[in-house]
Amino acid sequence: MSPAMQGALVLVVTLIVLLSGTPVAFGLGMLSIVFIVIFQGFDALHVVGETFFAGLNDFTLVSIPMFVMMGAAIGSSPAGKDLYEALDRWLYRLPGGLAISNLGACAIFAALTGSSPACCAAIGKMGIPEMRRRGYPDDVATGSICAGGTLGILIPPSITFILYGIATETSIGRLFLAGVLPGLLLTALFMLWTLFIIWKRGFRSHAADFRYTWKQKFQSIPKIAPFIAIIVGVMYALYGGLATPSEAAGVGAALCVLMALIIYRMWKPKDWWAILRDTTRESVMILMIIAAAVLFGYMLTSLYLTQTLAQAIAEANVNRWVLMGMINLFLLVCGFFIPPAAIILMTSPILFPIITAAGFDPVWFGVIMTINMEIGLIHPPVGLNIYIVNSIAPDVPVTRVMWGTIPYVICMFLAIVILCIFPEIATWLPNHMMGAKH
Amino acid sequence: MESFARAVRLLSQICGFVAAALIACGVVVVCEMVFVRFVLDENTIWQTDFVTYSLVAATFIGSPYVLLTRGHVNVDVLPHYLRARARFVLAIVATLVAMAFSFTMLVLAANYWHEAWAQRWLSNTMWRVRLWIPYASMPIGLGILSLQYVVDFLSLISGREAPFGIEKERPA
Repeated sequence: MSPAMQGALVLVVTLIVLLSGTPVAFGLGMLSIVFIVIFQGFDALHVVGETFFAGLNDFTLVSIPMFVMMGAAIGSSPAGKDLYEALDRWLYRLPGGLAISNLGACAIFAALTGSSPACCAAIGKMGIPEMRRRGYPDDVATGSICAGGTLGILIPPSITFILYGIATETSIGRLFLAGVLPGLLLTALFMLWTLFIIWKRGFRSHAADFRYTWKQKFQSIPKIAPFIAIIVGVMYALYGGLATPSEAAGVGAALCVLMALIIYRMWKPKDWWAILRDTTRESVMILMIIAAAVLFGYMLTSLYLTQTLAQAIAEANVNRWVLMGMINLFLLVCGFFIPPAAIILMTSPILFPIITAAGFDPVWFGVIMTINMEIGLIHPPVGLNIYIVNSIAPDVPVTRVMWGTIPYVICMFLAIVILCIFPEIATWLPNHMMGAKH
Repeated sequence: MESFARAVRLLSQICGFVAAALIACGVVVVCEMVFVRFVLDENTIWQTDFVTYSLVAATFIGSPYVLLTRGHVNVDVLPHYLRARARFVLAIVATLVAMAFSFTMLVLAANYWHEAWAQRWLSNTMWRVRLWIPYASMPIGLGILSLQYVVDFLSLISGREAPFGIEKERPA
């Protein structure tokens, strides 16, 4: 069988197995074993155990559970509520200030936790009922939270970037820096749209004579400031070359847990277990997919499927922007069905040689890929954030939430277009801070 | 059958505690490593290996717990849109695929561990770890994962558990 036929067979069977509802990690693992046996025989199986273990035996991967623990410590505490209140007190005078403060809270919480669902759930739990209580339309209240939640995987530190960095051997520090300006751009686009729609519908967040005192405004800061200081410290250690991502994340995780204990008095074993349980569940799930994806990647490479595909695309002489459009479409479709971690780990090894051969910057592409994953998180019909928001506000019909997300999906498409026209938005900061080449 | 299922679930729960403890240990050791390297300005020997192997072990040993709590992500679009009967068949197929993986991987991992043990492999790092120790987490974790899958499969076919945990019938 030619590599092209083998590739088509692998693609079809992979899609069938994944759509069957088999856990992604075990489905990928089984497919790898089956295809290795079919195309290389039983003798080739002796490398499977070694490859599976080696997939995880990497100190860089240590950063994943550490960053997850940072997020879990903050997510399990009432920090989200305090952050939300703090921003509301400072931004309440703006028209649509509550929606804007929600988006701002999402952007900051995203930086703190690195997780989109956690961000969506934490800010949404306070934000959605409050916006609805103050008369905001349901579609704006739910749509803005869905969209704000997605910022979790773009604004550093982001697990998505760590996975992309590991899968493509791209500097994680560079990727983190590359996510900053696009993250702010996307936040600004979300805010602009929200301001526009709120202005068009004539809403104010508070009564015109309502005022927070300066004391009330400053009261809200001390609880949040230490967490933000830790994140800034972690970033400084990373970019200052003081520590590796794993070391910085490890110290950051310990400090975040310590702050949660001190500030929110989370002394009870139940609170400790909540942090450890969430960390274990998410880390094990991601790391298991990584081990399986490494095995899957090994199978693809040893059958020369990756190389054949990259060569075929290079020989087709397709215009690079048409190619980028096709890749975006492919990622978008994947994003409708498959979780971001799995897509990145499965597709990066295949796409990486193609995009570098076409002359695209891999760091810039990491950002584009992440925005595609963000779209998948809120795009109807299967965006994860839609269903998280639906569980927070079950009386809002899912279709209404979906309609609310559509303008934000358009904002994300716009961000991709802007980044294609001005790639410097992603590449300037890493090049400026870490030198021009990788 | 019920007592077997209870025993396996307890085992998976214990695996969750062990995995959480390993991750917590990892965080503490990373902090210690940073302290030794940056504050005491001394070299570190065992810490990098210890943290890496702890987290690898946490992944394998924590896997049955994550399965028990339905934490392994899957693409559940199709199950949500299928009728009860088709969803049941699909759940059996999905469980069998995953079970086949965990059993096959258990055999391969056990072989790999046995090689490391019989041939006294050592890591090529400064710590010179006996590799059968970290490798043991793979067959242990996958073994308990396989047992948890057997319990899940039996619960599914005996109707004790809804396919994919979806209780409701979709309206036509």
